[in-house]
Amino acid sequence: MPVGYSIYVERPSYVHRRIDPRTKLAALGATFVFALAFNHPLPLALLMVAVLAIGRWATIPWRKMAPFLIGGTWFLVLGVMVWPLYVKGGPVLLTPFGIEYTLDGVLFGVAMGLRVALMVIAAGVWMMTTSPQRLTEGLLRLGLPHKAGIAMTAAIRFVPLLNAERVTIQEARQARALDLQRGNPFSRAVRSIAIIGPLFIRAIDVAQSLALAMDARGFGARDGRSSIVVLTFSRTDRVIVFVLLATCIAAVVGRLLGFGTITKDYL
Amino acid sequence: MDRSMEPIIEVSGLHFRYASGKRDALDGIDLTIRRGEFVGVTGPSGAGKSTLCQCLKGIIPAGTFTGNVRVAGQDVKPRGPYMESSALVFQDPETQIIGLTVAEDLAFGPENLQRDPSQIRAAIPGYLKTVRLSGYEDAETYRLSGGQKQRLAIADALILLPDILILDEPTSELDPIGKDEVFEVVAALRRERAVTVVMVEHAAEQLAEMADRIILMDHGRIVADGPPDELYHGEGFFHRPDGERSPQVAQLLVALERDGLVDAARFTAREDEAVALLSEMLEARAGVPAGD
Amino acid sequence: MTSNGQRPDVAIDVDAITFRYEPKSPDVLHGVSLQIHHGEFVAMIGQNGAGKTTLAKTFNGLLKPTTGTVLAGGTDTRTASVGQLARSVGYVYQNPDHQIFAQRVRAEVAFGPNNLKLSEAEVAERVQEALELVDLADHADEFAFSLGRGQRQKLAVASVLAMRPPTLVVDEPTTGLDQKGAKGILDLLTRWNTHGRTIIVITHDMTLVAERVPRTVVVGGGRIIADGPTREVLSNQELLAEAFLRPPQVTRVAQRLARYGVASDALTVPELHAELSRVLRGAV
Repeated sequence: MPVGYSIYVERPSYVHRRIDPRTKLAALGATFVFALAFNHPLPLALLMVAVLAIGRWATIPWRKMAPFLIGGTWFLVLGVMVWPLYVKGGPVLLTPFGIEYTLDGVLFGVAMGLRVALMVIAAGVWMMTTSPQRLTEGLLRLGLPHKAGIAMTAAIRFVPLLNAERVTIQEARQARALDLQRGNPFSRAVRSIAIIGPLFIRAIDVAQSLALAMDARGFGARDGRSSIVVLTFSRTDRVIVFVLLATCIAAVVGRLLGFGTITKDYL
Repeated sequence: MDRSMEPIIEVSGLHFRYASGKRDALDGIDLTIRRGEFVGVTGPSGAGKSTLCQCLKGIIPAGTFTGNVRVAGQDVKPRGPYMESSALVFQDPETQIIGLTVAEDLAFGPENLQRDPSQIRAAIPGYLKTVRLSGYEDAETYRLSGGQKQRLAIADALILLPDILILDEPTSELDPIGKDEVFEVVAALRRERAVTVVMVEHAAEQLAEMADRIILMDHGRIVADGPPDELYHGEGFFHRPDGERSPQVAQLLVALERDGLVDAARFTAREDEAVALLSEMLEARAGVPAGD
Repeated sequence: MTSNGQRPDVAIDVDAITFRYEPKSPDVLHGVSLQIHHGEFVAMIGQNGAGKTTLAKTFNGLLKPTTGTVLAGGTDTRTASVGQLARSVGYVYQNPDHQIFAQRVRAEVAFGPNNLKLSEAEVAERVQEALELVDLADHADEFAFSLGRGQRQKLAVASVLAMRPPTLVVDEPTTGLDQKGAKGILDLLTRWNTHGRTIIVITHDMTLVAERVPRTVVVGGGRIIADGPTREVLSNQELLAEAFLRPPQVTRVAQRLARYGVASDALTVPELHAELSRVLRGAV
């Protein structure tokens, strides 16, 4: 089964079409700031709901969000299990193995889990609503050098190819009696290293041919490049970025004043 | 002089040796190609065909370059400016496709030359039509077949508006359908546009059908140069166990000529003409009932 | 025949197999049956995506059939690992660079036999034999990647030959090679076949198949469209057209001249030459 280019999901939604990738990047950044600003589960949970709502508004199916949600849940569980060992406060809820699990500790654990889950899910939603082309164009307009932009798209472009090559090399090795199917995971891993050499060489080959083809089509012939990607940083985008900036500042200030925290001992 | 007969590529005394090479990859090439010609290039591996293609395109590899190469009035120099008069299609379908979608890939070249984006977008459907990929603008390039990728590569070259289209073994990595598709597109180009074509190929039968003139290279030199009917007729390079491939009908007619059954003046390297000739000869044996 | 019954004369026995990559994806092979006997030289032709490579990969267990069985050298491929099956069925990949590890020629060829846990002396003997068979003995101490494409192709073949599998599957060995390189590989395979090995070559070079390979299997749309002596298969235009293939030029010409009494199944230039001489001279 071919591996696709990216996890971008093409949808004709407002979020996909009308919001500039730079705005989306700012929103992602703001989400991270909010997530780090609070360690109380309540604001984080509200933020999580907001992010999921945006994802659904962008008509991304639950099926596609599922891997991120599952990952997020793991972090939640981990948070609840580990943090109460460090954070104590309020009434004791449980005492497994003689360790006191206090209310504050559990709430903090939930908050930490939510924090990571939030960042993971926000990144997922962001990737699924921003096409690589528009993202690259956005970054270029923010000042990313042209060569870096092309390097990004070329890397994405060649993921399916190199993946297919890896599979082929693996098969070819197996056909010469390098058994990758039996043995314990460790020895299998060691034998898998035999794949890396040829794959690396293939990757270099691909890179050389690609460079030649790019030269042949005029890459670097002029000082800059034009682009068929249309990006408009509209009034809506400006408003959104402004609001994001304002709320980020408010969040940081609020945190410094002590709001939205379970404990001031940890970030 | 009729404009269509003027030389568009003039090569004299071209020698090239790769930086790590032990001998000249191109060992004294003299060549003139006229506007509108379709020149086929063939020969064994290592003959210098790809090196020649790259020199004609103006992307000279690292090494020692001496001699003169003039393409559409501009001299080719190592590390010289990008030459817009020619476009090059490579052998490997995978590594010359750069965009994530077909439209993006087509736009890559013109974007490099800072052409106007709205004009590029407007031009895309026309070029897709030429290579029989209409409607594929948003298709993800990794999903395309080998033949489709090579046709896209041809469109990528044509959208640069070159005077000269250079194709370096465009069908070597393709299956029979892919090969047919590419040859059809190139043959149609021949008929519909005034572009000069230089095509390196091993497929002797197709080369004989399409090329006005074929150049045979070996060990960095041009060893034969002429119209298909002349080139594939000659002794020396083809009709030998370890020689280069020539069209099967050419081999057949040469063998019949040796038997004295066919007149040398009637020689052809093209299938339809060969069948017509043989039919004529077999008709002339009328009197011998069919099937005996 | 039971699923573990031995038919010692059959190298590859494909019994009504279907294959799909994922449970929910469509079938790529539909009810394919095929027997290849020891010592045969068979060509598998068809378009890319028609299933010929998929089918070939079931021969050495790289792919296991979804339904049906494949017996390679009498062993059911579903019960043995690829590594074990490699002893009876060797597989040479189209692109030699997929197989070649970055090392010297000798070590490259020794990789397979070493995996078979043979003695040092045995490995050295096999390596030498394989290198001589492909004419690379002079390059034994060079780096594999410093060889040209045609030589790397031969190296890939040698590396598999060194495991001395009775059956060899070679995938598109002539793609990207010039006339001399392609002939070199075919000469090699023919020689190996005359030593009694079973050779299955996947290709779409109709001319070489016509000239060198006695039996042809045509694969189209995941099915076997034709299977028989090359002469019969390649001169059947309708059958080939089903697989979007055309006969070699010389066969096409013969067919277009058939109404004058020319035999329409000429496979090579010498054959058509002889045939035309016969008809033109009115000899019987």
